[in-house]
Amino acid sequence: MKEVLVDLLGKPEGIVLFQLIMAARFTVLLSAMAFIGGGIVGAIICTARVSPVSWISRIGSAYVWFFQSTPLLMLLFLIGLGLPKFTGWDVDPWTAAGLSLTLYASAYLAEVWRGAIATIGLGQWEAGRALGLTFLRTLQLIIFPQALRGALAPTVGFLVQIIKGTSLAYIIGFHDLMSVGKRWANAAVPGTEPFLIYPLLALFYFALCFPLSLYSRRLEARLGSAVSTPTTA
Amino acid sequence: MDLRFFEIYRNPEYLILLGKGALLSASLTVLAALFGLIIAFALAAIRYGQVPVLKWIAAAYVEFIRNTPLIVQLFFIAFGLPMLLGYEWPFWAHALLSLSINFSGYFAEILRAGLESTGKGQREAARALGLKPPVIFFLVITPVAVASMFASLNSQFIFLFLTTGIISEIGVADLTQSGLYIDSRTFRTFEVFLVLTGLYILISMLFKTALAVIERVLFPWKFVR
Repeated sequence: MKEVLVDLLGKPEGIVLFQLIMAARFTVLLSAMAFIGGGIVGAIICTARVSPVSWISRIGSAYVWFFQSTPLLMLLFLIGLGLPKFTGWDVDPWTAAGLSLTLYASAYLAEVWRGAIATIGLGQWEAGRALGLTFLRTLQLIIFPQALRGALAPTVGFLVQIIKGTSLAYIIGFHDLMSVGKRWANAAVPGTEPFLIYPLLALFYFALCFPLSLYSRRLEARLGSAVSTPTTA
Repeated sequence: MDLRFFEIYRNPEYLILLGKGALLSASLTVLAALFGLIIAFALAAIRYGQVPVLKWIAAAYVEFIRNTPLIVQLFFIAFGLPMLLGYEWPFWAHALLSLSINFSGYFAEILRAGLESTGKGQREAARALGLKPPVIFFLVITPVAVASMFASLNSQFIFLFLTTGIISEIGVADLTQSGLYIDSRTFRTFEVFLVLTGLYILISMLFKTALAVIERVLFPWKFVR
């Protein structure tokens, strides 16, 4: 593939494009990690928030409040640079970036899903109790299937925020689209000037994000949306 | 493995630096939000209007801003554009420009949703009174749309403020940059960024309070019981 691109586009351009395509895999992989990790943690936090036990619910609220108020950049610095120095552990960029983005995504996803659950009438919860179901069984069998409909569009929409968020991971030494692009933009090679590389990078991110935005909008048109997607650059 | 915050707060130089950084972060955010809101109004007016080509361009601009990372936009504006067009600006001006453009995309989308949800009846009533289209847009539809979207604009503003630390990457002496400098001197990385996180949260809470006051001043009718 590298040879084909070099043959087609010439020396710096073909290599740049090849490296960006290779690096895009890591952007996608990190996004997937953050989405899955954030989804699991977010589901737990969301369950805590709607729990009838008030102190558990309060812990959930505090968690969401804290991680929605903390800049993603600070999470990356704290986990990627601060933690290794503080504890002496060796935290590699994959772990640090994955963990930071997981914490970030979990708070937003928990909030989106709580919003979707809030649109389900209280009568449904009462019906579950009347049937003798526990809180978790009611959530799983009655509330979740109904809330899913309104949660789908904003959840897909939030994926876009995660992908954009991964662009900050280069700061703690993560090797992705952004880090490769930045290295080329800084290199004194004709044909890789910043005014060429950054629009190209933007196109890469756009190609990853825009289809998801469109899909989210289509889902919203078809299924409706319980909450609007939280958008963070 | 102990937290040693005193290495940060016992040095007046660091405290002043943090204060200056916080002030710069907050003021750049406010300015960018104002410029962004102006651009967003223009975009929303175009998308609300009837000229197909302009509408398409405005929509493309908003989609492009919202579907690319701020850091890429920032680096293009700070490093790409000046090289291409041959001009030199201070760091903060590049940061302000890219933040304004970035904010405008997010605000425009919220305004568009607000304008769409503003009832047809309002527009028809205004037209029946003989008002001209620009007057209808700016004095009838927009205030209603902004009032209904104020909460969304608020939370968007806070989310955007939390991303502004990125401008430290082009050398702006904002709050994040102050933290990086103190970190490079003290090597108390964890403590420094905990303090920074606390400061970001504090500033967003101050912003929230200020915005609540602004809402009461701008839309007093919302608070009539």
